[in-house]
Amino acid sequence: MAIPSVGVKMDVQHLSAFYGEHRAIEDISIPMADREVTAIIGPSGCGKSTLIRCLNRLHETAPKTRVEGSVFLDGDDLYRLDPTVVRRRVGMVFQKPNPFATMSIYNNVSAPLRFNSRPSREVMDQTVLRALKQAALWEEVRDRLDSAATSLSGGQQQRLCIARALAADPEVLLMDEPCSALDPIATSKIEDLISQLKSNYTVIIVTHNMQQAARVSDNTAFLYLGKLIEFGPTEELFERPKEKLTESYITGRFG
Amino acid sequence: MSRDPLADTGEPRGYDVLIRHLKDRAVTMGGWALGMVHDGWRAYNAGDLVGAQAVLNRDERLDQLDEDMEHASIAFLVLRQPAAVDLRTAVALLKITTHLDRIGRLGFDMARLTSAPPETQLDNLTEIHKLLQQMDDYVEAMVRQALDALDGDRVDLARDLFLRDDAVDRMHRQANQMIVASLGKNPRLAPRLASDLLVARHLERIADNSCKVAEKTIYAVTGQRRSEYIPRHPVRPYVLETPTLFGADSGPSPEAPSPPTGTKAP
Amino acid sequence: MKFNRATRRKLFSHGMTVLTGATVVLVLIPLFWIIYESAILGASVFSLGFFTQNIPAPCSPHPGVTCSTNGVGSAIQGTVYLLLLAALWAVPVGLGAAIFAVEYGGERAIARVISMAADVLSGVPSIVAGMFIYALLIVYYPLLVFSVISGSLALGVIMLPIVMRTSEEALRTIPHSVREAALALGISRWKTSVRIILVAAMPGVLTGVLLSIARAAGEAAPLLLLDNGSLHPCMSVDTVCQSLSLTIYLGATSPSQNWVSIAWGAALILVILVLGLSIVSQLVLNRTARKWGQVG
Repeated sequence: MAIPSVGVKMDVQHLSAFYGEHRAIEDISIPMADREVTAIIGPSGCGKSTLIRCLNRLHETAPKTRVEGSVFLDGDDLYRLDPTVVRRRVGMVFQKPNPFATMSIYNNVSAPLRFNSRPSREVMDQTVLRALKQAALWEEVRDRLDSAATSLSGGQQQRLCIARALAADPEVLLMDEPCSALDPIATSKIEDLISQLKSNYTVIIVTHNMQQAARVSDNTAFLYLGKLIEFGPTEELFERPKEKLTESYITGRFG
Repeated sequence: MSRDPLADTGEPRGYDVLIRHLKDRAVTMGGWALGMVHDGWRAYNAGDLVGAQAVLNRDERLDQLDEDMEHASIAFLVLRQPAAVDLRTAVALLKITTHLDRIGRLGFDMARLTSAPPETQLDNLTEIHKLLQQMDDYVEAMVRQALDALDGDRVDLARDLFLRDDAVDRMHRQANQMIVASLGKNPRLAPRLASDLLVARHLERIADNSCKVAEKTIYAVTGQRRSEYIPRHPVRPYVLETPTLFGADSGPSPEAPSPPTGTKAP
Repeated sequence: MKFNRATRRKLFSHGMTVLTGATVVLVLIPLFWIIYESAILGASVFSLGFFTQNIPAPCSPHPGVTCSTNGVGSAIQGTVYLLLLAALWAVPVGLGAAIFAVEYGGERAIARVISMAADVLSGVPSIVAGMFIYALLIVYYPLLVFSVISGSLALGVIMLPIVMRTSEEALRTIPHSVREAALALGISRWKTSVRIILVAAMPGVLTGVLLSIARAAGEAAPLLLLDNGSLHPCMSVDTVCQSLSLTIYLGATSPSQNWVSIAWGAALILVILVLGLSIVSQLVLNRTARKWGQVG
């Protein structure tokens, strides 16, 4: 297993997750490098979504779920902290854009502030500006911050969700197949965005698109049937994978 | 998933068929280049100007094959975005065609040096030509082995070529020594001896390019680069390694090694 | 005309269409008839004073005496107090139960138990609800047995399951993605439920409240038991006051002419109230359905 040469921001150790009796992921250990993009790839049903949902403790909100193992964020065991606190340090963007439909653009982005810390209007304005700029959406919405979030296109809504997640100022940003529901142009905008985001945030992205993983990530983890098969620098994994199974998957010779 | 993803079902999967086509093209080009080497040497050795011309005319097709090969590899890369072994193979083939092109060109160069046989032949000359003939047989076998390795993903055959390269080096130095010695004794044969020097060098270059093909084949199959399995040994000027190479005194010539056997893939 | 299989089938489906159309008409007839009759007979007593003045003494017109139909002001006042007090306790309790069932019960058995309990409660006859409140208060608060407060308790029992069920439906309509989005931002479970999900479901919840008020406004049986007998304006809620539904009861069977007219007037008010609330709640629901369709 390749150890990244930079610091480890999030250390997943021997993580297993269950839905009732069914074990979705088994004994997974991955060091996520600080301010780099780590991609998680694998065929459908391999557990990638389950894994990423364990990283912000969203997995346990479903009924009859259980988690074993630990996830360390800068040394803090996330499973010993209050889940709400964890989710403020580890943000998430979902596959289908899910802005709050009853709120305006401004209120969507400021939601984490309004519901959590309630700062002054001035601070909120600054945060909303920062977040929208970081999500490369500011120029497109600066004149209509009070219009409904649902008036934006799919790609814009997804960037809005990214801005909303960034407004909470997380340390890690999780992205669960963020481009699946988008057209190619919107997808490429978000991929560019990810490259910019990593200078400030650690990004972990689940994707079923291997080329996207190759384009966007610094490190890649390949999962199959709930187990970690291989993890390493992206270029190495795609040029010279160590495991036969990995090679079989990325050359399309699977099953 | 009920089927084991690593199970070999015997059917072509992924880009197997496309890769096979690319390799076939490369082997075809290699065959063409090898033919130019074989006929080029033969024409030179026999002083056959007509035969030499025939070889020179094959150059155009060699260029064509090179271009087609490059085009096919790039098309494969841009349209299929391959990864791992497929990617390595496409990239390796791009470089291999360069080396195959050089091999063909060296055959071309040998043909170009062809001239009518001299009126008088001295023993030394015959000795030299016998050695060069041995060298050519050995080198042609190496090219064939490199192509077999490429065709069948035979890393074992590829590695073997590096050892044979050492043998060619020894033959090359020996030939040089003999030619230099003969130059001293038979200055009238200088033109012929001079072109013999060049031919010996061409043959050595062909062997070297075959090794490069083997190197790229190993990279395609295993991902290893040369530095990972062959230690670099220091190289010094000839005079420090083989003092008599370009010196007046040529000592007794060492035994010429026998050509390699069993080069065809089983 | 060929009387073969194909024709028979066509005739049959045609006949069925006519039949079902007829049943629709049948259903609509009572509705329109009620509205029509109330409108005709009730409107005749309508005036501004009708809403403010109190119920007059019963009298029938005969030479020398003019009968007035002053108004049902006290009844309106009583009904308003009843509904307000009932809503005051029934809405929070019903809403709370709905939130609990959806947010914290989720798929678990407890949620189904709560829903079933609501269904059972909605089937309880209103007089039984009244009797239950009577029995309860007789033991603990005998002084309140006959008052607006006890009447509102009984009406609340009627309203409770309606609020609960409709709120639960409304909350369940909110897609799971909204909940996840909020949780992922580090918003606590409680705040998510109340300030985000509930707010988003508010139109549906409001509909439920309006419907429950409409239903409770028309209940007469429990009031007969618990809040009966006064004709005067409401002084305080721990005494008995008049109400619209009881006014109808009183007036409809009265030999006095003016009281009959007053009854029709009260009926018209009730019909307008119930119809109005139903229509408003429908409009609100429609607007919500369209809005949610725009997400993503």
